[in-house]
Amino acid sequence: MKLILDQVIARRGPWSLEADGCFDKGIHLVTGDLGSGKSTLALIMAGLFPTEQGTVRMEQIRGVMLSMEFPEFYLTGLTVAEECASWGLDAEEIVQNTGLCISTTTPPLCLSRGELKCLHLSCVLARPHDLLLLDEPFSSLDCSQKERLCTELSQRQEGITVLFTHEQATFPRVDHIWEIADGRLVDCGVLPGALERWQHAPELVKKLVCAGMIPENLTPDKIWEAACRIQG
Amino acid sequence: MITLHNIRCRSLTIDHLEILPGITSIIGPNGGGKTTLLRLCAGLLTPMNGTVLIDGKTPGQTETGYVNEFPDRNILFPTVNDELASPLRFSHVPCKEITEIVTAHARAWDICHLLGRRMQDLSGGEKMLMALATACITRPTLLALDEYDSHLDASRCATIETMIQQSGTTYIIRCTQQMETAASGDYLLFIDHGHIIHAGTPAAVFASLSGTPYYPLSWRCFG
Repeated sequence: MKLILDQVIARRGPWSLEADGCFDKGIHLVTGDLGSGKSTLALIMAGLFPTEQGTVRMEQIRGVMLSMEFPEFYLTGLTVAEECASWGLDAEEIVQNTGLCISTTTPPLCLSRGELKCLHLSCVLARPHDLLLLDEPFSSLDCSQKERLCTELSQRQEGITVLFTHEQATFPRVDHIWEIADGRLVDCGVLPGALERWQHAPELVKKLVCAGMIPENLTPDKIWEAACRIQG
Repeated sequence: MITLHNIRCRSLTIDHLEILPGITSIIGPNGGGKTTLLRLCAGLLTPMNGTVLIDGKTPGQTETGYVNEFPDRNILFPTVNDELASPLRFSHVPCKEITEIVTAHARAWDICHLLGRRMQDLSGGEKMLMALATACITRPTLLALDEYDSHLDASRCATIETMIQQSGTTYIIRCTQQMETAASGDYLLFIDHGHIIHAGTPAAVFASLSGTPYYPLSWRCFG
């Protein structure tokens, strides 16, 4: 199972993005500055943004799910129950999974943004997807919900998961890091080696790498373990 | 001082709360009442019961900048230039003066490259940056920020943090899910199920949250 970006160039006015790389099974993290093109790359991967040059090839990928940053764009139901039903899911089960204290009769737009994001992500993750593209999945989630999401993502055994995020503190187990710099997708490689090449690494990770204590991965426990090695 | 007394509003219940000048961060679980408190202070919600006073005045009598958590809900005008100028136009500032202020403000916020663009063409993060710049252009007494940092990269967050601190705004109240950001403020409130559970300095509040996902990872690693 692979997603291949073969010398892709996308353009929007004076802005452009070049992407060349192969995304195989596992969790991929894509980072980059504000406006660098992370969301556009997610759209390109989903086949929703035209490329000026190059091709996007999917091998053995039967289904694609793109979760955009703002969950309100997905709403079709007038209640939580209707919204879950529109995904073909049981509302009671989904709400229980989120751990939220919300009623299934509540209109989704009456939920707080974090609650709505939790609901949306629970619906997305309730089904298997060969290619799962998550654009800023952590935005608006509280710290407990971020941890819950990371646990769920870390447990995904199948498929390709690509996270596009500014998140600096809470990550799942990541296999591969990419970043967008100067209009180009850069392959930082697989972990833990990728952490040494990652320009957009969180300050805490940079501090650990500078001290020569490269974390095995980005999960809080692995970061803490590396910090403990510094302190002896 | 901002004083909230005997407040009942939606799920939020506050018997008495005093917010001192400086940066106050609000953290807590989703749906706990953070945004409700922020909107009360900004005068966007009227409590069913109780009073909110900012230096003895009601929120409606106070110059306030508010940044919504949904970037699109901050937008009133189609172009970046008009959006940025809008609070000044609403205040009937002379046109020539508006042009000068907008130019200087855009330079200070490093957003000159966005001025000619349409708001709808901006990325989510750029929209949030624009909302912050627009909220600050009238130098309000209270700046109420609802999870603005969810949509910004680390370097932009750091720049904005500095700009916010240097803005001279008397009261900055912000909801955040970034604990490192919360740790950098002057005061911290932890709200859950409509009640203020912890209030105090970041050190005092986070000491109460040790062992929870809310405790900053950098503090856990390096103390």
